[in-house]
Amino acid sequence: MSDCSSSSLSVSPDAACLADNDDEDQQQRQPLQRSEAGSTDSYLAKDSDVAQQPQTFLGATELDDELIKQLPKEVLLRVFSYLDVVSLCRCAQVCKYWNVLALDGSSWQKINLFDFQRDIEGPVIENISQRCRGFLKSLSLRGCQSLGDQSVRTLANHCHNIEHLDLSECKKITDISTQSISRYCTKLTAINLDSCSNITDNSLKYLSDGCPNLMEINVSWCHLISENGVEALARGCVKLRKFSSKGCKQINDNAIMCLAKYCPDIMVLNVHSCETISDSSIRQLAAKCPKLQKLCVSKCADLTDLSLMALSQHNHLLNTLEVSGCRNFTDIGFQALGRNCKYLERMDLEECNQITDLTLAHLATGCPGLEKLTLSHCELITDDGIRHLTTGSCAAEILSVLELDNCPLITDRTLEHLVSCHNLQRIELFDCQLITRTAIRKLKNHLPNIKVHAYFAPGTPPAVTSGQRPRYCRCCEIL
Amino acid sequence: MPSIKLQSSDEEIFDTDIQIAKCSGTIKTMLEDCGMEDDENAIVPLPNVNSTILRKVLTWAHYHKDDPQPVDDDESKEKRTDDIISWDADFLKVDQGTLFELILAANYLDIKGLLELTCKTVANMIKGKTPEEIRKTFNIKKDFSPAEEEQVRKENEWCEEK
Repeated sequence: MSDCSSSSLSVSPDAACLADNDDEDQQQRQPLQRSEAGSTDSYLAKDSDVAQQPQTFLGATELDDELIKQLPKEVLLRVFSYLDVVSLCRCAQVCKYWNVLALDGSSWQKINLFDFQRDIEGPVIENISQRCRGFLKSLSLRGCQSLGDQSVRTLANHCHNIEHLDLSECKKITDISTQSISRYCTKLTAINLDSCSNITDNSLKYLSDGCPNLMEINVSWCHLISENGVEALARGCVKLRKFSSKGCKQINDNAIMCLAKYCPDIMVLNVHSCETISDSSIRQLAAKCPKLQKLCVSKCADLTDLSLMALSQHNHLLNTLEVSGCRNFTDIGFQALGRNCKYLERMDLEECNQITDLTLAHLATGCPGLEKLTLSHCELITDDGIRHLTTGSCAAEILSVLELDNCPLITDRTLEHLVSCHNLQRIELFDCQLITRTAIRKLKNHLPNIKVHAYFAPGTPPAVTSGQRPRYCRCCEIL
Repeated sequence: MPSIKLQSSDEEIFDTDIQIAKCSGTIKTMLEDCGMEDDENAIVPLPNVNSTILRKVLTWAHYHKDDPQPVDDDESKEKRTDDIISWDADFLKVDQGTLFELILAANYLDIKGLLELTCKTVANMIKGKTPEEIRKTFNIKKDFSPAEEEQVRKENEWCEEK
């Protein structure tokens, strides 16, 4: 900074004199008051500068007070491309030229307004829409709760090339918003409507009509969505890859079967808590969508091993499976998975309380890429199951998270087995009553970076063992 | 190791390792299109870069000669500005005039890594500053009328209301 200001002070008088003589362009750029400082002595020096000027980008004569003006537009835009939204808005207030450039749509291709969610209202969206126009490709308005249909309409109207739109938790918007989106934004590939609780089946019909390129949609917690909407969506948006409808209680077998029938490219499906879903639709999905990689059917408690067997038969690419609370699943289902789904990386088996050590033995042999495994509340799991796991191919280098909370049968021996899992980053041991502090300390000695989550009620384990209880009773008697 | 001669705008000749010179897309194209690669005495004129700046550019290119080829602008990637290595940071402890000349040279010579680095550096000079502080940093004159200033302030005030 100091370098710059001193150099501009010493040189600009020359520039001012030059401007007086022969260069109108220069004259415009030079402030008048500078010419007072120009002395006749500097004329000589100036001539050589003039000679050199065309040969360099910044001839000494151009070292005026706004050096940065010498950067061509495309370079300044490149600088702006490294700026965040706040900095861009401040640049827009610097001068007229910067105002134009900072608000140039090319700087605003990707916008995430999550940090401003509380304050985003109509005028801001209008402003952004107008400056971004066709440049805008990705916009996140997640959590902008005061955002209404009118704003979304303005946006859709101006920004036809938008591909990714996140409207999750914009709780005010209704089907009117999706109607304008489907009318103008035909290039849309991903939309997130998570928790937009006014959205109905009509929205899915609009998207089906207007956005044939849609590949990802999230309607989680939009509790009005039913099979009718999903059927319309599936018929129109056959390129669909990701579908998420967590907590939509009306999503049923029929909805899943429509997705299976019309959208063969489905790779990710999340139907967490869609409680009525049964084996029949999951079996159809498995058979029709061989590219399936991630599936969450947690809390779909009617599912049985038949679903797991269908997956193992058709979906060899499966890498994530969440089946928390599917209490009917048994070792037989996971045996099938372990045999065929060798790319499994993340599995959540919380509360699959029928599974035993056999499941772990099958996964250990069949799934060398297993990285995260949740076995919370799988009450039949013992040290022996963990031993199987630690002798499997995933154990030494891959396994990084193991959740064993509320597995009452596991003991310190489990931790001894886990010493060989060098990549283990985190282990959950809440309410594993047979695990001792000493064993955890030993494990930490071997794996210094591991995070162990456990809780020991202060003082109780040694104190309670003998002779203590009567004393408590005596207290009670006194009271 | 084969070398070529680069000539700056003030006619200084720089004997340069050909591999280093080729980090400039512009020079690379010139050499290949004009078949100059095998000619030991060929001189590549660079009329847009003076010797002071060219010397700096070549110093930078020498230090970074083993860098992997930078990939083209990847829109999907978040653009970071906090990943400047300390050698580069020291290299760019220069006055603004020199910094901007380096940007222009990198732009003209088509040296992606150097252009990226210098633009990031300018971006870092902007980040976290108020409009007035930005003006001060770059000696920019405010050319808004009071009414215009008020209008642009209003248009952009939403980003301050966190």
